Amino acid sequence: MKVEFKVGLLALLSVILVIVFAYIMGLMNLFTDSISLNVMYNYAGGIEEGSPVRVMGIKVGKVRKISFNPTFQMPDTKEEVKLKIEISVDRKAWETVRKDSRFFINLAGVIGEKFLEISPGSTGAPAFSPNDFVRGEDPPRIDQLISQSYGLAGKIIDIVTKNEGSVTNVLGQLDKLVNNFNKTLVLLDRTTKNKDIARLLENAIKISDDLVYLTGQLRSKRAEDTYDLVQKLIFRLEPLDGPMIRKFLQEEGVKARVKIF
Amino acid sequence: MAISLAAPPSPWRKVFRIKETIEQLFFVANESLLIIVFCVSFAAVVTILESSFHMRLVIQNDSMVPGFAALLILRELGAVVTALLLTSRVGAGIAAEVGTMKVTEQIDALRMLGIEPVRFLLMPRLIASILGTMILVVIANMVCIGCAILVSDAYLGFSPTMFVTSMRRFVGFQDLIFSMIKGACFGAIIPIVSCFFGFRCKAGADGVGQATTQSVVVSSVGIIVVDFILSYTFSHFY
Repeated sequence: MKVEFKVGLLALLSVILVIVFAYIMGLMNLFTDSISLNVMYNYAGGIEEGSPVRVMGIKVGKVRKISFNPTFQMPDTKEEVKLKIEISVDRKAWETVRKDSRFFINLAGVIGEKFLEISPGSTGAPAFSPNDFVRGEDPPRIDQLISQSYGLAGKIIDIVTKNEGSVTNVLGQLDKLVNNFNKTLVLLDRTTKNKDIARLLENAIKISDDLVYLTGQLRSKRAEDTYDLVQKLIFRLEPLDGPMIRKFLQEEGVKARVKIF
Repeated sequence: MAISLAAPPSPWRKVFRIKETIEQLFFVANESLLIIVFCVSFAAVVTILESSFHMRLVIQNDSMVPGFAALLILRELGAVVTALLLTSRVGAGIAAEVGTMKVTEQIDALRMLGIEPVRFLLMPRLIASILGTMILVVIANMVCIGCAILVSDAYLGFSPTMFVTSMRRFVGFQDLIFSMIKGACFGAIIPIVSCFFGFRCKAGADGVGQATTQSVVVSSVGIIVVDFILSYTFSHFY
């Protein structure tokens, strides 16, 4: 084998290795079948070209290109959105991405890798056409949240400083209230352990049981018969005066002292 | 036909001496391939195991080892180990060859023939060394990563897919490009330093030995210093 051939073979091997590496790193996608979509944001939260695109947590594409478009307006809402993120979505996942899908920028992993998450749309919603423009959900800005937290903390400190006496007083009273409540709880605990109180509670339970039995009896058939009998008796007694009532009761065999007003 | 055969070689061919360059490339790349693959394989194994050990020790988690090791291999290990091995093999060879030519007055003979000896001897070696080191750096990097994948699969429980996924978080294609640029720079250092000491070789076998030793030492130091400069420069591109 000639020297030139051997050298050429080694050079070719190194070129092939570079191409393989480029393919592994995702720079060359010779065999993927994907469709492009433009997602518009006003704040992209640090996503980069090459970041993964996921549908339901599965990687289905990547961010192809990020570009600034200062004059862009959304066709339907006329909202000004200045950041265009061109993404590719594999054809196998394309059917799940519908017009009502939402496009979030999320964070994953220990090192905080950013990715674009697409929530699956409903089957009834229309599908996107390739290279359509869609409005993404701007991620919360951590710097804004921190700034707002600082503002809130400043206001709290301000309020506390201005009303230092009142706050101290309120705290003191709260402390007393908690102490008193604690004492009450201790007393209540002791009271429940007292023997007399325990007996009282026991009797109260028995009375309550008796009352339940009594009211049950009052609602029975026998009680209803008794009411009827008493009612008939009163009906018969109503037209009579005192001596007549006494005579009637004597006839009925009831020895009673009836006092008529 | 006769005219074309009789025509003198073009100045381009005279300057670059393609046949000599290819022969030198064979000497630099093909004949060094085996030893470089062997050495970088062990270097990769040590790198991945040490990275895992340190990460477990420091952060009790070695999930980032593949990415970290791949980055280390591409940014430093592949290029530097290859260049240092080439220094000891090719650099010493060039210094000894040129030194012997100086001692046996072959260089003076070239001058007598009207040939510029520096251009005549250095240029093919320089081109061959630059190209050869770049080729070897690519192969060394890929062999290193391949060995790291095998070791992490066998001992650390990272499947090749997990390794590549983790690697892609840290490593970019530009790392391989930077590694090749480093390889080209190191490849330039080796023949320049070796020819320099070869041309300054003192008479006798002792002089050749000294020139060889000095060329290896200075080339190695030069490679490490240039590596620092290039690493510092490339860190600004991230």
